[in-house]
Amino acid sequence: MNAVESRPADELALEALFQGVHATRMRDLPLNNPQLRVEALGFRDWQGARVGALVTPWSVLLTILPGPGGADGGGVRRLSVGCTQVWRFPSGEYEFHGHEAEGLGHYQQCSLFSPALEFESHEAARIAALAALDALLAVPPPPEPRKVSRRGLLLGG
Amino acid sequence: METFYDVLRRQGITRRSFVKFCSLTATSLGLGSAFAPRIAHALETKPRTPVLWLHGLECTCCSESFIRSAHPLAKDVVLSMLSLDYDDTLMAAAGHQAHAILEEITAKHKGEYILAVEGNPPLAEDGMFCISGGKPFIDKLKWVAKDAKAVIAWGSCASWGCVQAAKPNPTQATPIHKVITDKPIVKVPGCPPIAEVMTAVVTYMLTFDRIPELDRQGRPKMFYGQRIHDKCYRRPHFDAGQFVEAWDDEGARKGYCLYKVGCKGPTSYSPCSTMRWNEGVSFPIASGHGCIGCSEDGFWDKGSFYDRVTQINAFGVEGNADRIGGAVAAVTGTAIAAHAGLTALKRARLDHGTGFDRNGEETGQRRDPQGGRRPAETAAVDQNTGRGA
Repeated sequence: MNAVESRPADELALEALFQGVHATRMRDLPLNNPQLRVEALGFRDWQGARVGALVTPWSVLLTILPGPGGADGGGVRRLSVGCTQVWRFPSGEYEFHGHEAEGLGHYQQCSLFSPALEFESHEAARIAALAALDALLAVPPPPEPRKVSRRGLLLGG
Repeated sequence: METFYDVLRRQGITRRSFVKFCSLTATSLGLGSAFAPRIAHALETKPRTPVLWLHGLECTCCSESFIRSAHPLAKDVVLSMLSLDYDDTLMAAAGHQAHAILEEITAKHKGEYILAVEGNPPLAEDGMFCISGGKPFIDKLKWVAKDAKAVIAWGSCASWGCVQAAKPNPTQATPIHKVITDKPIVKVPGCPPIAEVMTAVVTYMLTFDRIPELDRQGRPKMFYGQRIHDKCYRRPHFDAGQFVEAWDDEGARKGYCLYKVGCKGPTSYSPCSTMRWNEGVSFPIASGHGCIGCSEDGFWDKGSFYDRVTQINAFGVEGNADRIGGAVAAVTGTAIAAHAGLTALKRARLDHGTGFDRNGEETGQRRDPQGGRRPAETAAVDQNTGRGA
């Protein structure tokens, strides 16, 4: 239980919200992957905002929650559905869709998988989500210089 | 030698308009403004490629879409380039005069011209269900295709068969890739396809003298790499389980997700949700109706437009049109799962509109020309783009 209790409160709140969604409105969705359950994971501070991932049986999403610095913490704008905010992370720019929910407040998401039917286990979805999250915040290595053969140089191969 | 530029000038298009057209095309191709001079240079120096546009069993909605390309300039320029040759719906010539053009181009420009096909040939009764110029359309199609450099299949008819090939398909209407088997075919499905996609595909082929990168089904990756669902502005409602349950209910008024009333967004590959229609004004979902999946193979035979999608066979990987019909690798092992996550992240990344990586290779991605703009909330979005420096 200690492991659970040490998880950040906002991550737990997000997870609880979507567990509620799963138990009610999404319960019988034919697109659900029955192997997956709702889990929020990997939330960390990023320039005042909170960035993490959310695995659900219907989608795997990057999620941004406002940081502790007030409702707009970390520049996480409150957006109505249909509006997006472009975020610049070390690995590049990404477009996040805004939404809000009672009990959680506003949040923004960027889809990685939907539906998420290719995952054979919840663990696999977790690994994919965490790998994407780590790569999101990591500076990508510079691309390797392109090897051009002599023929390629002449013929544009 | 006549170049495209010569033709355009002769048609009364000014230098200024020409340069403007080149930047517009670069943008709609997702190539970034830096590519405009390259397009201009190609059109100024390369000999004009003739384009022949044939019509089989079709409803002309592709032509209707095409000639209403959002920007009047794009339309004028592209039509000037095309209408010179053969398009039996748009050309001024008729009868023997028209047929003579076809004969002249196929003979004089053997192996150099591009064939664009709208509609498809019916094969039953030796092709008697579609007669063009006194002969079965299938004969004309095979004759013109024989010496074409490349073939464009406009719309769902030419690409998949569409409504005339719906069960029981009495005329045996057949998509063109089943009768033209020795030429590269670029499929531009949709009923009709988006005008900007059509002009961009044809301009790309004329400018760069090659076909765009295609997915396994033969569609240009730059436009058909993602599903409606992936970029739908109502997507947050889907993820939050907020659905329209019945027409005109509370959810419908609030703009909730249309999946439960039959939206085919999760299985349809088309740039409707990013490029939109009518100069980027709207698309079906923004008008309150689900996507009917008109760009997909056999969409007429997949049940009612209002049945909800329950099967996504092998449609697992978001945005990866290459995987359809192929085996979607089960994501099990740690390394494979991590790799899937990285691939998904790369797909989600905005690529700054070049469509090309640092080495000049196509990335197969294009930047949303609307920049995520939603017409109803433009002001809100404009404030919301960009963060940090």
